[in-house]
Amino acid sequence: MNWKREMQLLETRRQFFGKGARGVSVAALASLMGNAAPAGGQPGVPHFAAKAKRVIWLHQSGGPSQLDLFDYKPQLKKYHGSELPGSIRMGQRITGMTSGQSSFPCAASIFKFEQAGKAGMWMSELIPHHKKIADDICLIKSVHTDAINHDPAITFIQTGSQQPGRPSIGSWVSYGLGSETQELPSFVVLLSQQNSVRADQPLFSRLWGAGFLPSHYQGVRLRSGKDPVLYLADPAGIEREGRREMLDALQALNRKREEAYHDPEIDTRIQQYEMAYKMQASVPDLTDFSKEPASTFELYGEDARKPGTYAANCLMARRLVERGVRFVQLYHKGWDQHGNLPQDLALQCKASDQGAAALVRDLKQRGMLDDTLVVWGGEFGRTVYCQGKLTDTDYGRDHHPRNFCMWMAGGGVKRGFQMGETDDYSYNIVRDPVHIHDIQATLLHCLGVDHTKLTYKFQGRWFRLTDVHGNVVKSVLA
Amino acid sequence: MLSRKSLVLLIAGLPSLLAADGKGIDFNRDIRPILSDNCFACHGPDESKRMAGIRLDTKEGARAALTPGNPEASRLYLRVAHPDPKRRMPPPSTGRTLTTQQVELIQKWIAGGADWKLHWSYEKPERPELPALKNKKWARNAIDNFVLARLEQEKLTPSAEADRITLLRRLSFDLTGLPPTPAEVDTFVKDKSASAYEKQVDRLLASPHYGERMAMPWLDLARYADTHGFHIDSHRDMWPWRDWVIRAFNNNMPFDRFTVEQLAGDLLPNATTEQKIASGFNRNHMINYEGGAIPDEYLVEYVADRSETTSTVWMAMTMACARCHDHKYDPIKQKDYYRMFAFFNSVKEKGLDGRDGNADPFLRLPSGEQQTRLDDLMARIKARESELADEKIKPAREQWEKQRLALLDYAAPAGLRDGLVAQYEMDGTGNDHSGAYRHAHVLRGEPTMVQTSVGKATLFSSPSHAVLGKIALGADYSIAAWLVQDHHEPQTVLRQAGRLDVWWDASYPMPHLRRGAHLHVETPGMHLRTRDRLVQTEQYHVAILHTQAGGVAIRINGQAVPVVREAASGVTNGEAGVLAIGQELDTEVRNGFRGRIADLRIYARALTESELRYLAIDHRLPHMLSVPVKQRAKELTLRLREHYLAHVAPAETQAAWADLRQLRERKAQLDDAIPNTMVMFEMDKPRDTFVLNRGDYRNHGEKVTPSVPAVLPPLAAGAKPDRLALAKWLVDPQHPLTARVAVNRYWQNYFGIGLVKSSENFGTQGDAPSHPELLDWLATEFQRTAWDVKAMQRLIVTSATYRQSSKATPALTERDPENRLLARMSRFRLSAELVRDNALAVSGLLNTKVGGQSTYPYQPPGIWEEISRGEIFSAQVYKESQGEDLYRRGMYWFWKRTAPPASLSTFDAPDREKCVVRRSVTNTPLQALTLLNDPTYIEAARVLAQNVLREAGGDPSKRLMLAFRRVTGRIPDAREANILSELAAKQMARYARDAKGAQALISIGETPVDKKLPVTELAAWTNVATVLLNMDEAITKE
Repeated sequence: MNWKREMQLLETRRQFFGKGARGVSVAALASLMGNAAPAGGQPGVPHFAAKAKRVIWLHQSGGPSQLDLFDYKPQLKKYHGSELPGSIRMGQRITGMTSGQSSFPCAASIFKFEQAGKAGMWMSELIPHHKKIADDICLIKSVHTDAINHDPAITFIQTGSQQPGRPSIGSWVSYGLGSETQELPSFVVLLSQQNSVRADQPLFSRLWGAGFLPSHYQGVRLRSGKDPVLYLADPAGIEREGRREMLDALQALNRKREEAYHDPEIDTRIQQYEMAYKMQASVPDLTDFSKEPASTFELYGEDARKPGTYAANCLMARRLVERGVRFVQLYHKGWDQHGNLPQDLALQCKASDQGAAALVRDLKQRGMLDDTLVVWGGEFGRTVYCQGKLTDTDYGRDHHPRNFCMWMAGGGVKRGFQMGETDDYSYNIVRDPVHIHDIQATLLHCLGVDHTKLTYKFQGRWFRLTDVHGNVVKSVLA
Repeated sequence: MLSRKSLVLLIAGLPSLLAADGKGIDFNRDIRPILSDNCFACHGPDESKRMAGIRLDTKEGARAALTPGNPEASRLYLRVAHPDPKRRMPPPSTGRTLTTQQVELIQKWIAGGADWKLHWSYEKPERPELPALKNKKWARNAIDNFVLARLEQEKLTPSAEADRITLLRRLSFDLTGLPPTPAEVDTFVKDKSASAYEKQVDRLLASPHYGERMAMPWLDLARYADTHGFHIDSHRDMWPWRDWVIRAFNNNMPFDRFTVEQLAGDLLPNATTEQKIASGFNRNHMINYEGGAIPDEYLVEYVADRSETTSTVWMAMTMACARCHDHKYDPIKQKDYYRMFAFFNSVKEKGLDGRDGNADPFLRLPSGEQQTRLDDLMARIKARESELADEKIKPAREQWEKQRLALLDYAAPAGLRDGLVAQYEMDGTGNDHSGAYRHAHVLRGEPTMVQTSVGKATLFSSPSHAVLGKIALGADYSIAAWLVQDHHEPQTVLRQAGRLDVWWDASYPMPHLRRGAHLHVETPGMHLRTRDRLVQTEQYHVAILHTQAGGVAIRINGQAVPVVREAASGVTNGEAGVLAIGQELDTEVRNGFRGRIADLRIYARALTESELRYLAIDHRLPHMLSVPVKQRAKELTLRLREHYLAHVAPAETQAAWADLRQLRERKAQLDDAIPNTMVMFEMDKPRDTFVLNRGDYRNHGEKVTPSVPAVLPPLAAGAKPDRLALAKWLVDPQHPLTARVAVNRYWQNYFGIGLVKSSENFGTQGDAPSHPELLDWLATEFQRTAWDVKAMQRLIVTSATYRQSSKATPALTERDPENRLLARMSRFRLSAELVRDNALAVSGLLNTKVGGQSTYPYQPPGIWEEISRGEIFSAQVYKESQGEDLYRRGMYWFWKRTAPPASLSTFDAPDREKCVVRRSVTNTPLQALTLLNDPTYIEAARVLAQNVLREAGGDPSKRLMLAFRRVTGRIPDAREANILSELAAKQMARYARDAKGAQALISIGETPVDKKLPVTELAAWTNVATVLLNMDEAITKE
């Protein structure tokens, strides 16, 4: 193999379409040269030594109530049922769903809180498993966002912009750092199937889209069922050997064409077919949980045996990063408790508490938590004031962008650490605000990426994930 | 190894052209990009960010920072070449650095006198002279003069003309998006006339598929889709606009008219329906209906999208960069942004809309026949309405009310209590009023008492189970109750093991944001369900009559309704148990009852018609009448009036009322069938437009009026500054951008890359044109021919440049990998839609119908459902088309923005959320999997094999020839034929051993299998065809 010629071809490929064949063809090239080194990232990236090599983002879609999970406000019992003071609300905008309410009575959490871990993190009775990872996570209680409704808020946290059109965080990371695996996509998306909670918040493919980056950086949905990756399985009636015969013939025909046309794309295509063939073996191996020991299911819960559940997806996330996937983006719907919160939130936590905690513990016991960053959180928090009727046993909460809780664990961040503080109503941040762009900058920092330098030129402008904002939250860094 | 940057320079051929004195340096090509990319952000148009008072984007500014002819005395040069990295510009914090070559260029430019020009794209194109050529034979038209002149300068020679088969295939894909048939190839190959090629060009330009092909990139630009995009992302109808675009191209509408009608068709004097449809271009943007979203915020987004899209499509101007502050690179002030914005800020629209179909304003488009029917129905409805006007029936109605009030409850038919086994009023107590049975016992669910129009009812808001007792259901019985179904999951209403099972199936969306489910009744050996869905949340009186003689009957609101007989599941076999509402546990199949139930009665006999009528109709009257007239809500009054008209009034009036209801129903159905499309429509009084500080909708700055950026020519003097004036301004001969931008995109369609590579950005940060004179010549030619679009396509495809072979040599690939110099034809993969169209076309499956509603080809289940909101909204559940709609062209695939057609996305189709000018062209393993395993392609391969086997009979080499020709247009050479014959033989041997596998493979897809063909052969040849369809050549325009 002529290495120089290969590099030139590669350059050719890149040059041709500008936004052309990159990551994957580089991976193909790497495999061609028997080189297993990371491939396909941008020159000079990482910008400095990375603490984390990969990310698992557990997005809790809908907006979990910080007031009922992490942001303990014992004083609220006093104010329960009384009007949210104007001095607290300060005329902040509210959604069209509660703007018509004649009153805004405060609703204290109905749930009991306990402290956990060395840092004494308050956690509610809904998330007992989280208490076991209190010493592993870094809890940020002062995250805030610009958007007040789901579509813009989730688009914001995933792409850095409230309006559609920008690349998702996973595609930025895979564009910047490239792939560590040649047999799986570098950016994988998992959607957990619904449990008993009414989960009516839609998701959008733009959340894992590549925006203006070349489209192969978009996340690949890994689904439960026969075809975890779209069209992975050979059709009925085609056996492996038969398929191999077909691919051999195809390759011979394509090689012949390449000799006539000298188009490097043909060579790339040949490599893509070979990778596809490999994926047909590696993906079923990935999704086959039968070799996981019983202890795995003790850790994640029996739910993890049921494909598509949140617990199964947490386990899948671990299996993906084990195999070199760079970015795993998981979505769990059902956190939008406008009403009936005590009942629905409890169900929601029951379906997700153990899986998330198990993932952190599992990564830790495998020594992978050191270089894997796990992120947990929703697109915003929920209001202290009640939406709908407030009773002794029932309340609802509207969207609240002004403060909410997220946690990170693993590569690059402090363990058993909490930061940020809100007022007695969990309505305003009083200490250490952390903006969504700061979260994004910090995540990139953990990956060894300077968020101001990971850019892509589109329409004449050098775009980045954090737009023109974002500061690395130094105090959470290990 | 060469760095990327140096490679680019090499391609541009710069070093060889540069002299030490700076001659040969072109400011716009060589210097401005360096300054723009590295300096303008801090020393450019944005005053607020300008550092040290230095600006380098104007001649005056730059001159203040340099001394022409003397780099060493020029601050600009000294700073970029500073030996101290800390003092060197640009500063390290920007992340930008200049290469040695760039510093050298600046040095030479200053040394040569620091010549300055306005950015090229802001100057009106002047028609250049055709350059003189050494080779006088090659050029076929003016394009070739420019291309060859550059090649001669670069000491390159053009490639030979492509062979005829390749040429026709290329031309067919480019002009129609479809491959040529073998017969078309034959005709062309055999045509020895001098104009053989031109004949093909003219034939293809006249094809109805030409309009489709030209429309495809336009749909990306126009961000056309079939859903609203934000959040709920429900259905919209913009296909009438899409079809307008196809027609416009097919009718060769000049580009200036094409522009004016799409931007301002509604404002043209006496605008036609077609012109109004065209104005939908700027309604294609996303529209939000997220509960809780703030309308003002989205109104701004819609207007911003229109203004930015229009600027990108017609001017390749990055207007969006000036939304929050002055543009950092181009001379566009923030105020300019909002002045442009103002043109589009006067549409009569709502901030939140699109919940149920199209958002205001939209235009209904009845066909002539529909309009006739509509007029007729309206006239008849009006006549009936006046006949039944309240003042005419009021005296009789009031008379009846008084009479009825005197009777109140006592109008029950005699004997209504006969045979009444049990009666539960369901007033929240569960008491049995017959006294014969114990009171209902609620085991699950929390019953609450609610008032309804039929009196008290029990509401179960969570899955419930309420045991009524061991009520014997004999051979003859009736069960009646008022029911409201309150949840979309399947649920048990009433059940008695061994006797009866009454249940709702899962409710599905119905038109107009409703859902509905079928009511099922199962008894031993019998299973009936209502033919139509009953609407969720609506109240129905349901009666089940069981007689030994007549079996089971279902009555809804006292009436017999159409039923469907289903296979009995056997759930009612076995011992009789207790009668209960709902069920004990929720199962995978069904949940307990959720909803409302009232007046549940069980009779040990069949109810009579008049009893049923009483229970369903008259029974509720006392409740309605008991409200004093003055306290009656409007709705109650209306219901009483309807009751009177339907059941009480004289027979003639009742008939008139029945007729009116039927007419209204027919009109509603007709309304649903009439397509509509969103259009532009001006408000009576336009909204005020303000500069929005930091782009925030809440933060109003200075008030502005519509106008255009100062760097461009002014709007026509005296014209009202509205969208029409803007559209006309865009196509004014003085406008420097419109024609260049349009021809550049055409060029991009054919050659993969435009003459200006950054076809979306002609600003200072965009790429310089590879052939500036050619670009200007084409632009002026476009204007000179009165914007004749077909003529422009014809010009390009008849050039010698276009007709070259795409075969490269390793040396040429290395020298010019992107083919910017055009010493060959570009070779690249077909776009997503065309990859699919091609497979369907060569197999013979393609349905060539042009236009119409979008369709739903094969797609694995769950792609939409896993992410969509569901509930009552439209476009949440993917319902595959049936029959020939499965085989429509890819451009008609229903485009749901939050989950675009999955296999098209894999081939780089955009999500259509925003305007897209250039698609990526990637090459990935997921594409391989799609072409190998997507049923679309397996079916296409099988049908191709089927046709070939039929046509060729038993001769394998003939089969091969036919199949290969269909896919590639050409005949395979010996080596290719050999590879494929061997494959066919091996696959035959496999399927000879695996008959089941063969059958399974050929059964994929809806097209019937030709049973006359041997299964083994068909399966083997299906795989041969799959290999053919997967060849690089098959999905590439060569």
